[in-house]
Amino acid sequence: MGSIALRNLWERKLRTALTALAIVLGVMMVSGTYVLTDTIDASFEDIFTESNEGVDAVVTATEFIDSDDGVVPAFDAAVLGDVKRTDGVAQAAGGIADPQVAIIGADGEPVGGNGAPTFAFSAGGPDRFDPLTYVEGNPPESDDELVIDKATADSQGFELGDPVTVAGKTGTQEYTLGGIATLGEVDSFGGATLALLTLAEAQRLTGKEGQFDQISVAADAGTTPEILAANLQATLPNTVRAETGAENVETQQDDVGEFINILKTALLIFAGVALFVATFLIFNTFSITVAQRTREFAMLRTLGASRRQILGSVVLEALAIGLAASAIGILLGIAFAPAIQALFKAVEIDLPATGTVVAPRTIIVGFVIGTGITVLAALIPALRATRVPPVTGLREGAVMTTPRQARVRSAAGVVLTGLGVAGMLLGLFGVLDPGELWIGVGAAAMFFGVTLLSPYLVTPMAALVGKPLERLRGVPGRLARENATRNPGRTAATAAALMIGLALVSFVAVFAAGLRGSIDEAIDKTLVGDLIVSHEDGFSDIPAVTADAAGRIDGIEVASPYRYAQNKVEGVSGNGYLSLVDPRTATSVLTLDWREGSDAVLAGLGPDDAVIDEGWAADNGFAVGDQFTAETASGRKITYTVRGTFKDATDFIGDYAASDANASAYGEPDTVTNVFIGLEEGADSAAVRGDIDEALASFPTVQTQNQEELKDSIAEELNTLLGVVYALLFLSVIVSLFGIVNTLALSIHERTRELGLLRAVGTSRSQVRRIVRYEAVITALIGGVLGGVLGVVFAIVVSRPLADEGFIISIPVGTLVVLLVLTVVAGILAAIGPARRASRLDVLEALAYE
Amino acid sequence: MPTTSNGTAIVAADAVRRVFGEGEAAVKALDGVSVGFPTERFTAIMGPSGSGKSTLMHILAGLDRPTSGTVKIDGVELGSLDDAELTELRRDKVGFVFQFFNLLPVLNAEENILLPLKLAGRDPDRERLRQLIDAVGLGDRLAHRPAELSGGQQQRVAIARALMSEPAVIFADEPTGNLDSHSSEEVLALLRRAVDEFGQTVVTVTHDAVAAAAADRVLVLVDGRIVRDDDGTHSPDEVLDLMKQVA
Repeated sequence: MGSIALRNLWERKLRTALTALAIVLGVMMVSGTYVLTDTIDASFEDIFTESNEGVDAVVTATEFIDSDDGVVPAFDAAVLGDVKRTDGVAQAAGGIADPQVAIIGADGEPVGGNGAPTFAFSAGGPDRFDPLTYVEGNPPESDDELVIDKATADSQGFELGDPVTVAGKTGTQEYTLGGIATLGEVDSFGGATLALLTLAEAQRLTGKEGQFDQISVAADAGTTPEILAANLQATLPNTVRAETGAENVETQQDDVGEFINILKTALLIFAGVALFVATFLIFNTFSITVAQRTREFAMLRTLGASRRQILGSVVLEALAIGLAASAIGILLGIAFAPAIQALFKAVEIDLPATGTVVAPRTIIVGFVIGTGITVLAALIPALRATRVPPVTGLREGAVMTTPRQARVRSAAGVVLTGLGVAGMLLGLFGVLDPGELWIGVGAAAMFFGVTLLSPYLVTPMAALVGKPLERLRGVPGRLARENATRNPGRTAATAAALMIGLALVSFVAVFAAGLRGSIDEAIDKTLVGDLIVSHEDGFSDIPAVTADAAGRIDGIEVASPYRYAQNKVEGVSGNGYLSLVDPRTATSVLTLDWREGSDAVLAGLGPDDAVIDEGWAADNGFAVGDQFTAETASGRKITYTVRGTFKDATDFIGDYAASDANASAYGEPDTVTNVFIGLEEGADSAAVRGDIDEALASFPTVQTQNQEELKDSIAEELNTLLGVVYALLFLSVIVSLFGIVNTLALSIHERTRELGLLRAVGTSRSQVRRIVRYEAVITALIGGVLGGVLGVVFAIVVSRPLADEGFIISIPVGTLVVLLVLTVVAGILAAIGPARRASRLDVLEALAYE
Repeated sequence: MPTTSNGTAIVAADAVRRVFGEGEAAVKALDGVSVGFPTERFTAIMGPSGSGKSTLMHILAGLDRPTSGTVKIDGVELGSLDDAELTELRRDKVGFVFQFFNLLPVLNAEENILLPLKLAGRDPDRERLRQLIDAVGLGDRLAHRPAELSGGQQQRVAIARALMSEPAVIFADEPTGNLDSHSSEEVLALLRRAVDEFGQTVVTVTHDAVAAAAADRVLVLVDGRIVRDDDGTHSPDEVLDLMKQVA
């Protein structure tokens, strides 16, 4: 029996390949994801390990709250004296490692755009702490010299002696290139760029005079790194913490690990979608082939094959396809990993990936998932094959008698759809934990449910989309419609595969449109000033001096500094966001939707006053007059008194707004997130902008925008992200198109005699092609329409709880229409092969076919 | 147990009735058939379309169950067997030859012949295989796939397949129904040799008077009953006369 199964696969190479391809693509995505993230992980580990070579212990500022911006505050340089006096310390040196500078490239723009950061490092410590290898030149000896990484030097064409400009918190400064360095074997710090300056110059440029970002410590003979770190921890003030070099590598690794895990999860979700779609394809292909081989199974049963042997034979086919497809998928995934990386690089997410890490887990998971899904999907068709009664083998043209399961089927469909919707809603409202997982499981159940119900929709939908075809195209249109409805279950399962991909695409489109509308609305309603100064990347902080510089310009009435920060409020779980504003100027550039209080309250905010978000207030039981205590990044605790409440539809402000009198407590001093500018009555906006650009010329990473430009740049970022999501979903759409090709090819095989008859009575080849093509278009459109409707419904359901917070649901009709048109095109493309095959059938042979 | 003059019946049906459908739409395909098939005999079952001859053969072979009555093969009462036991019985005791050959297209001739033994997990008797290949005259075509063989050759492979496991009985359903006259002759001669030289028992259902003439005994079924049971060989003309009489 085994060899029969395998030979069947070999005989039907094309079908086997098409079926396997679905699994190959899914497994490729899974293994590609693992390879990519493992490689990134390993590359970061290399970088961190390399950087900490020769360092026994590291002293950094204590992070009182676990902020997610990756910026670790600096600490007082006086700590170095304490370190040197600690037992077991042989050598110690303080240094700067600031990720908020920019090297200005040959084109006058910051190198690396909005991608990986540029670090300012300080030179001058003992050699053993210096992880760099100088491929050219030497470490900087004077304040006007710098060293940059080899990757940047290569990409910008900088050579020793060239002038290189670096922008920091205190403005731009030109240096002479005195050296080019690599980190161990690695040319650059994994996409990040590096400017090495003298300690004093690094401190000045980053606004950290009298401060260090870290102190590297070496132990004397006889002191282990663990004891050294413990000694340091015991003697140093609580504003800093000491770790061994190895612990520090781990800490840094954990920080990037969080990001890598998010990336991994996101990519695996897309892989999961592709595999989910592949399940439909495999189920469908096996269902059809089992039905077509009814006589063969009946004959085998007659000759004495047991049910178990029949089951084994079909399952073995699935197993063979699954194993082969998984193996190919894993190999392709290894090759595919750089493609995913390139996709991210295209949207300026540059990740280090040197070498290729193929963990055993990648291979095991690939095989288990690929093979498991294939076998599971084939199980129901395989069981059906065992129910073929031997007696049908004796009849000519025997077809499988499908037992009447319609009632069971529709009941299961209704139940699954219901459970799916329930799962989604419960996950959404936090009843089931983790919510994201239950939303996903619910969505999958709902897809299955709708698929079970969709055979009922096939006939009316085929009529809906097929009638116009029939009217326009006559007989071929009519036959295509009839063919599509001949086996509604088959058409439904084929369309369902496409439905899933399109449902997700339209869900994302609707959700993104809503998000964009909401952000636009928030900008319109909240930002009542005229111009917004921000970092080019849209989210990083900018030097606070920009506010002063802008404030001095003629025609500007107010230049109000604004800072978005993180804290931890006592009694409230997790970190929260807040806004620090300048009470004197805030009311002319910001409008809050007051519930209790007024602009006068905001203008009169004292250092210990706050106005809070209505929703946050309700969640935590805060009311006007109450007090709450905020723990800040620097470890300071500030107790605020609630002075007012406002409705913050889009969470623009965060949990609360307070005076920026306390700004320095919330992390790095001298930085703000934005400067909101209000112009004087009658000022010439264009002229003022020119003046601002001039005044901020020494801050090349800072940009000035008006509301419309800000909206556009957010929209652009959103579109970039959408592009990545679409690209990843495209994979599952491709899989579902293979499904259409497969189903059509098998249906044509089944109808060979009929097609021969059509040709015999005078149907032309192009008409035969048309019949097949229209059937594909009808199937694709059923999937497209169902998917579009489901996607819109999903988006409305998911955004329902957000609607109270001002999320505006808007349906991008244009995008949805484009999707439908693309669906038709996809159907036509899928039909090319099968249509050609159908039209080339030899009439006589087709008629004689038995 | 009904027997005939020549020894004990290897296959026997007793008062077999088979009704398809229920109520108004019920059709009596077999209406009380009792018949025995002795070993080493070649029996042809004839009858007009709808006479119930195919149903009788399906029930005799354990492919279908009677509404009432009993069937025994080699002393085993089929009614008491479950699906797995019936499968085993078909595998070990029954050989089949079909009108449309029903060879597996992916296996070559030799592999098709050995298929039932493979299904049973038994080692083939090489000597018997050699004899059978000699008998069916396909020595040079053993490595060919069914698609590369003529209809007659395919049917001879199918007969070899049925003979391979030395079954208690071989059922042949219109074995010449899809063949030209020359191939038919070869196939009939082969079935004849199966009985005469290999000592097999063959039961065939056929429309073909020439095929029936190769048998030792002709049964005629009309409306689910046996109306004639003629022992002894007939010429094709005699068979045709017989059919005319019952019609």
